[in-house]
Amino acid sequence: MVGEEILPLYNSLPGALQLLMRFIFSEAFVKAVIFPGAIFSTLLGLFALWYERKLLARIMLRVGPLHVGKVSGILQTLADGLKLLSKERIVPENANKALFVLMPATVLILSLLLYAFLPFSPSWIIFPSEIGLLLFFAVSALTPVPLLVAGYASGSKYPLIGTTRLALMLFGYEIPMFIALTGVVLMSGSFNLVKIVEAQSAVPFIIPQIIGFIVFFTTVLAEAERVPFDIPTAEGEIVSGWGTEYSGAYFLMIYLALYEKLIALSVLTSLLYLGGWHGPPIPGLPESIYAPFWLMIKTFLVLTVIFMFRAIFPRFTIEKVLDLGWKYLIPLGFLNLFIVILFVEFL
Amino acid sequence: MDQVTMSEFGPLSDPFVLYVILLILAPIGFYEISWLLAPSRPKRIKRMAFESGQTPIPWSFSRYPIEYFPYVIIYVSYAVLALIAFFSVTPLLVTREGALRALIVIGAITLGSFYLSTQIPKLKQRV
Repeated sequence: MVGEEILPLYNSLPGALQLLMRFIFSEAFVKAVIFPGAIFSTLLGLFALWYERKLLARIMLRVGPLHVGKVSGILQTLADGLKLLSKERIVPENANKALFVLMPATVLILSLLLYAFLPFSPSWIIFPSEIGLLLFFAVSALTPVPLLVAGYASGSKYPLIGTTRLALMLFGYEIPMFIALTGVVLMSGSFNLVKIVEAQSAVPFIIPQIIGFIVFFTTVLAEAERVPFDIPTAEGEIVSGWGTEYSGAYFLMIYLALYEKLIALSVLTSLLYLGGWHGPPIPGLPESIYAPFWLMIKTFLVLTVIFMFRAIFPRFTIEKVLDLGWKYLIPLGFLNLFIVILFVEFL
Repeated sequence: MDQVTMSEFGPLSDPFVLYVILLILAPIGFYEISWLLAPSRPKRIKRMAFESGQTPIPWSFSRYPIEYFPYVIIYVSYAVLALIAFFSVTPLLVTREGALRALIVIGAITLGSFYLSTQIPKLKQRV
């Protein structure tokens, strides 16, 4: 037994080191620091960035990151991060300095906090809760607030226009997202994300709720400001929208936060509609390992589709974005809810 | 090895508390690394607002018409409807009678929202 071989070595350590070792091997440390906590979520963000750049390059017949790192420029995103950290921190003279500096940190904290409520298997979750879905959306609904404040605090015209666009888009897409989620909650009978996934052991919810999935997926794209819904940061129109004045470490934090939120929303999509961690058992591997594996496979499938949209679709104009939200997604969301009630109670 | 107990490390035995502490430390770490690595050669031209090559506009009051204002007004009513649906439908489905009522209410809202979606283009878009 490995444990028995280590035991004499452990006993020979000073008391403080023994305590430190017990802390490093404790459940709290593993979950909060390694998986699914800080290290995993940060590496996931960096990998997703690299993956998007490679995928877009392939679609556009380019090579993409190549030189930094031995395998296909895998360390390019890390190098970019270091470059941004080593750039001068500039606060515009018209900006509200305190808000301008604090908002990137706030949005990063809120985006990473989303991972606390996401189960990667029945046991791999930082904060298990009966109202996990509600907590996720309470935090998710807060994430645009620092961005709005950041745009306002920049004291410049392009960020102000971007802020207005972001607010208008949020008005249009928060409601259909809630309506689509109501269908999932009804079908599973719970706000607990683990129970929602367990309710899909036979059939993933995407099959009975295909309309709800389309509504939810579209709102995810809008929430994450992804193409074709990237009007608040539209380059070529309003420079970089609410983020125009940000550079260096501030920009890095905002950029990382946006990708972390996108990945968290993709994990949630897999949990709510694609059956979460359900998948065929992998011989020789315990459930605690293959369950997160299947969830990540589904998540990267969702991310691939989202990234491909960036290469395929042009940006919608603002009236088309608002029309889509108000004229189509909300009625379709209610129609999905109507069908779910019929399905659950009367069929 | 000794059994790790929940109380041994105090609040740090809770993964959520530990995670939140790490999240608060992360941006501080970014700021600290940037403080170590980044140069500081302040010049006024660097701190001026980005104007995309246009003539800078000095500080002034100006009109800023917000289009699509009706959507903001509609949002308030729809947000209430969505929240009511979100929180009330699940308890209603416990009984058959409650489920029938929920079905009628959601059916009415569905038809109403389809009708409203045809009326939105007729709204005045600028106030």
